[in-house]
Amino acid sequence: MLRQISFIALLISLLVAPLLGIASEAKPFAEKHVVLQISDPNPFKQTLVLNVAGNILKHYGSDKVDVEIVAFGPGLRLLTLGNSNTKRIDALNSEGVRFSACKNTIKAFTKKLGHAPELNPVAVPVSAGVVRIMDLVDKGYILVKP
Amino acid sequence: MNIFKKSLCAIAVGSGILIAGQAQAVNWLMVQGTEEPGSAPRAKLWGFLQPQYERTQNDKLADGPWKGQDAAFNSIGPNLDSNSQFQLRRARIGVRGAGFPLDDKINYFFLAEFGKNGITEYGDAVELTDASVTFNHIKGVRIRVGQFKTPMSEEVYQGIALFDWINFTGYAAQQLLERHLAVDGQTPCTPNLTNAKYLEACAKGNEWEAFGAARDTGIQVFDTFVFESMQDWEFSYSAMVGNGNGLNEGDKNNNKDYYLYFSAEQVYDGKRARRNGWKTFAWYTKGTREILTSSGKGLGANYREDEFDRKRWGIGTTYRKGKIRAAAEYNKAEGMIFNGVTGGAIPGNIANNVPVTAQFNILPDEEADGWYVDFGYKVLPKIELAARYDRYNRGTKNTLDVNGIGVERKYKTLTLGAQYFFNKKTRATVNYAFRDGDGQDNNTADNILDDMGDVLSFQVTAIF
Repeated sequence: MLRQISFIALLISLLVAPLLGIASEAKPFAEKHVVLQISDPNPFKQTLVLNVAGNILKHYGSDKVDVEIVAFGPGLRLLTLGNSNTKRIDALNSEGVRFSACKNTIKAFTKKLGHAPELNPVAVPVSAGVVRIMDLVDKGYILVKP
Repeated sequence: MNIFKKSLCAIAVGSGILIAGQAQAVNWLMVQGTEEPGSAPRAKLWGFLQPQYERTQNDKLADGPWKGQDAAFNSIGPNLDSNSQFQLRRARIGVRGAGFPLDDKINYFFLAEFGKNGITEYGDAVELTDASVTFNHIKGVRIRVGQFKTPMSEEVYQGIALFDWINFTGYAAQQLLERHLAVDGQTPCTPNLTNAKYLEACAKGNEWEAFGAARDTGIQVFDTFVFESMQDWEFSYSAMVGNGNGLNEGDKNNNKDYYLYFSAEQVYDGKRARRNGWKTFAWYTKGTREILTSSGKGLGANYREDEFDRKRWGIGTTYRKGKIRAAAEYNKAEGMIFNGVTGGAIPGNIANNVPVTAQFNILPDEEADGWYVDFGYKVLPKIELAARYDRYNRGTKNTLDVNGIGVERKYKTLTLGAQYFFNKKTRATVNYAFRDGDGQDNNTADNILDDMGDVLSFQVTAIF
């Protein structure tokens, strides 16, 4: 009997899982999932991507939306330690916005600089920025590149 | 007499900054010397244009050897050929950024002047105004090398594209924007002068060989600090050593100029050049100038090049919040001071009855001081009305020359202004200056200064 109940519970959970969507651990009640791409050298784009993240949170409420910013290429400068936008990054992070840093870009920066770039502690290295974006899109995230 | 001379308009100097608007309570040390960490571009092209029209009352000299001739203070600089003039006061283009953006601990600043003003009047058609590199590797000790603005009076140190007035105060125009003269110009310039160098210089009106433009070539250490317990306050310092010989010139002597600057600012909001805050500051600079005089440092010397001290210092405060901006400064000059033009005449003009040429001149060992209060209020989002009152006292140390004639001059100027902001980077400014001057213990000078005319100016500023 117990075995049957367990089996039914497992079956139900498997059936319901897709309906629950892609709720992340940090944002269990999120109804929207967005990944923002920053890969541009233009400093204005740094401000823009942070503005977009802030506006999304403001519109949906920080509990109802899950936002991740993925930085790669020249856009990784957004996540270097001491960036002029650090306060805004920290504020967004405190509201649940995640920041991913491309390991390939970190390697390239290291080669050019002669040492590894110091990153903002909120930055989470991911194997490849573009792969991270593809994975998130596969999970149902909407990709926005401001 | 002699107020404003070429300085009236020729003192177009300053550095630029990227955003138009009012400029009080901005940390110019950081805005001009550094880039935003982590987001500095490789090369940001920028600049600004300031076409203008200006006119003064066309009163001639009322007294003295040049009586009836054009007055320098009633002529529009930098050429002083008329009392009304359209001109391109400033036209600057530059590049700034971090050459290797991944390592933005190093940034640069480059700016050149294409306009017609004190910088280019006796220089080349295009003059380099700023070219510097800043190293930001050591916390608390940023190092900047090259040619750039020297921290001093906010009036001239600020990014000039954000200056809320068209002309500088009398004191700043004459004592802070230095003209480097070859000879002191105190000896009457007659064809029979025995010293060829002196005669050559004074016969041309003793035009300046270089223009300081509130800049110097040298090395500066500086930084800004924010303490944990007072996070809305910024404390800044700067110490600098430079040649003290004007734009794009090498040094003339072995003595360097030294500059010190301190500021404390309560920051309300905003960033970089668009910040609201309340700042107080103090600064000091000291150097020596080598110049040919007929008497040297002592009476009896016969045409000697001597070195004279040049000291400047000042204190001030600026405030900007919402619709209001305000500023006040007191500045003092000791040692070598600029003393205008002989008889208030146009430099190079010959006196009526004697073969004496009017010339720019300096007093090698004198004093001067000046102060101003400045207030602006935005009556509408795009319109600001403003008033500035400034006083300037020149030749205050000895007051009388060896012949018992007064050398002291006192000037008062009330300037009313209005600005219309088309957008954040373009604005139109109109100023009307009521000017008044007195020659102390000197009837001739006093008569001349009685005819110092008011000045009406229009200017457009477009930043790109």
